[in-house]
Amino acid sequence: MRCRLALEAGEYFFADEFVRRAPGLPIAEFGCVEDDPVKPRVLIVDDERLLADTTAAILRSAGFKTKTAYDGWEALATARSFHPDYLLTDVMMPLMNGIELAIAITKILPSTKILLFSGQAGISDTLQEGYSQGYEFPLLAKPVHPLRLIEALKGNA
Amino acid sequence: MEKKAKTLPPGFHGPEVLAEDARNFLSAIIESSDDAIISKDLNGIISSWNEGARHIFGYEASEIVGQSILQLVPPELHSEEEQILAKLRAGERIEHYETTRIKKNGERFPISLTISPIRDGGGIIIGASKIASDASERLKAEESRFRLAAIVDSADDAIISKNLNGIITSWNRGAFLLFGYTEDEMIGQSILRLIPTELHYEEDEILRKLRAGEKIEHYETTRVSKSGELLDVSVTISPVYNGAGQIIGASKIARNISDRKKMEKILVQSEKLAATGRMAAAIAHEINNPLASVMNLIFLARQDHLTREEVQNYLTTAESELERVSHIARQTLGYYRDTGSPTEVYLHDLMENVLSVYRSKLLVHNIRVESKFNDLRKIKVRSGEIIQVFSNLVSNAIDAMPQGGTLSISIARTMKLNGDGVQMIIGDTGCGISRENIGKIFEPFFTTKGNLGTGIGLWVAKQIVERHRGQISISSTAESRESGTIVKIYLPFSGSEEKPKRLNDAETDN
Repeated sequence: MRCRLALEAGEYFFADEFVRRAPGLPIAEFGCVEDDPVKPRVLIVDDERLLADTTAAILRSAGFKTKTAYDGWEALATARSFHPDYLLTDVMMPLMNGIELAIAITKILPSTKILLFSGQAGISDTLQEGYSQGYEFPLLAKPVHPLRLIEALKGNA
Repeated sequence: MEKKAKTLPPGFHGPEVLAEDARNFLSAIIESSDDAIISKDLNGIISSWNEGARHIFGYEASEIVGQSILQLVPPELHSEEEQILAKLRAGERIEHYETTRIKKNGERFPISLTISPIRDGGGIIIGASKIASDASERLKAEESRFRLAAIVDSADDAIISKNLNGIITSWNRGAFLLFGYTEDEMIGQSILRLIPTELHYEEDEILRKLRAGEKIEHYETTRVSKSGELLDVSVTISPVYNGAGQIIGASKIARNISDRKKMEKILVQSEKLAATGRMAAAIAHEINNPLASVMNLIFLARQDHLTREEVQNYLTTAESELERVSHIARQTLGYYRDTGSPTEVYLHDLMENVLSVYRSKLLVHNIRVESKFNDLRKIKVRSGEIIQVFSNLVSNAIDAMPQGGTLSISIARTMKLNGDGVQMIIGDTGCGISRENIGKIFEPFFTTKGNLGTGIGLWVAKQIVERHRGQISISSTAESRESGTIVKIYLPFSGSEEKPKRLNDAETDN
C-alpha cells in the first residue's frame, strides 16, 4: 500500500501512515486495491499546493480516492485518466480559473460532480461567467472545517 | 442783390425772393439726403419726391407725384393718415413717429417719420413735408441688442462687465443668483468684493492680461458670495473693445462649479472605496488560503496513532502558515493603523535594526552587505513605517539574490532645491526586474515572486514615503552579468511637519 501511494504525485507519506493505522475507517480495508469500485474518486485542484495536499490527505482518510493538481491544465490531463466522481476546485487560479475548469470537465465527464472551493470574496464576476453559459456550481467558502467538507462530498454521494 | 444772395449761407435769405443759387443749393441737399423727403398738400396729394424717397419706396418721382400718399400706407393704417392730416391742419408737428409703410414692390417695412406743416408767405398751412427714414436696420440692431440683453439676463451663469480699473459696470440676474448681491449693490463697486482677500493678487494678473488683449478661459478659482460663502467657480474673462478698437473693459462669465467639485470628490472617494474593496478581496484570498491549510493541518495532527514526529511536522507547517497570515496582516491591515506621531531618529539606526533582523537570512544566502552611512542629522519620521519600508526593500533584495551577491546601502544627507533631506540608495546584484514588469512594480498585488510574494511591499513603501512627502524610484536591469536593482528614496527633513489642513483633507489622513 505504501509503495502504491508513494508513486502518486502530491500525496503525503503521512496520509498513507494514517490510513494504515486507522483500521476503523473503510479506507483501511480497501486501501490497497487500485481500482476499488467502492471508493469515490476526488480530484482536488488548488494552486495553493499545501492546501491541495492536506485536503487530499484528509479525504483519503475519510475513504476517498484522491488525486491533486495545482492548475487547471494539469487537472484536465489528470481527469482524463482518473475519471473523478468529484472535482473539488479552487476558483481563482492562474492560467485557467475554477469555473473554466469545471465547465471543461462537465463537457468531458458529464457524470463528475463539481464543488467549488473559494477563499475570496468578489469572485461574483467569475461565477457570472458560468451562469451566463448556463452553469451553476455549488460553492464552499474557505476555510471550511474538514468534517464539513467530507459531509458535503458524502451528502452528494 | 443777386450777387449778395450768393454770399449768403443757405437758409439765410432776406425778405427778397429766394435766389436761384440758394434754391439750387437746398434742392441739392434734399436730393442727396439718404432720408426720403416728400411734400404733400393738405389733401394728401404728393407734390415732391426726392432721390431718398425713390431709394426707400422704389417709386420714381414721375410715377408718384400727383398721387395720394395713401398709396404708401397699408390699407389698415389709412385712418392713421386722417389723424396726421388733422394734426397738420392744426399746425402740429409729428416727430419720429414709428409706423409701417409699403414699398412699390408691396414689401412692408418699419419707418420713422417726421412730418411738419408747410406754410405759405402769409402763414397759412398749405401742405406738409415728410422726412422718412427706413428703420429696418436700426430696429434689427435694437432687436438684437434686446435679444442679447434677454440672453444675458436669463443666463444661469453670472455675466458681469467691468472697466479696466476693476469697477463693475453691469450685473446680470445670474450674477445675483450666484453671488447674492443685487445689480444696484454692485454697479460702481470694485470686483475685489467678490474675490477672497488672499486671492486679490489674481485680479492684478487678470487686469494685466486684459490690458494686453488676452482672454482668460475656464480659469478655476474661488470667489466669495455676499453671505461670505466660498464658491468654486470657473471664469472666462474677455476684453471688451469700443468701436475704435480700444480695450475699455472686460466681460466676465462665472460658472458655479461647486457641484462639479463635489461630484469629483465623490468620484475620488468611490474610487478609493473600490480600491479598498479590491484590496479586501485580495487580502481575503491571501489570508483564507493559509487559514484553510492550518485547519487541515490541525485536523490531521489530531488523528490517533501518529508518531510524535508526524504531529510535529503538521504543527510546524501550521505554524509557518500562521506566520504567513500574520505577515500579510501586518503588511496590509497594519499599514492602516496609526503608527504614532513622528519622532526624531537617525535613519541609519532604523536600517541597522532591519539588517539585524535579516542577518541570519543574509548569511544563509551568502549575501555581503556594504553600508555607507553619512546621514549626520536626525530626521522626524514615523519610525514604524520607515522600518516597514526598509524591511520590504531588504527582503526584496534578499529574494532577488538566492545565489548570493552584494547588498549595498548608502544613507546620506542631501541638498535639494525644495529643501534638505536624506537620500537612501539600496542596491542589489540580484536577478533584476524585466522591462515589462518595472512599470507595474508599485501597483498593489503585483508580484514577480509567484506564490512567495504578496505584491504589496513596494506599494506600501511608496504610500509611506509619499506620506512623508518623499520620493521613491526604482531602476533595474535584468541583463545577465550586470543584472541588479537600485531603489532610491528621498525623505525631506520637513516631511512630517503638520501641514495646514483643509476641511476636506481631514478624511484622507485617517
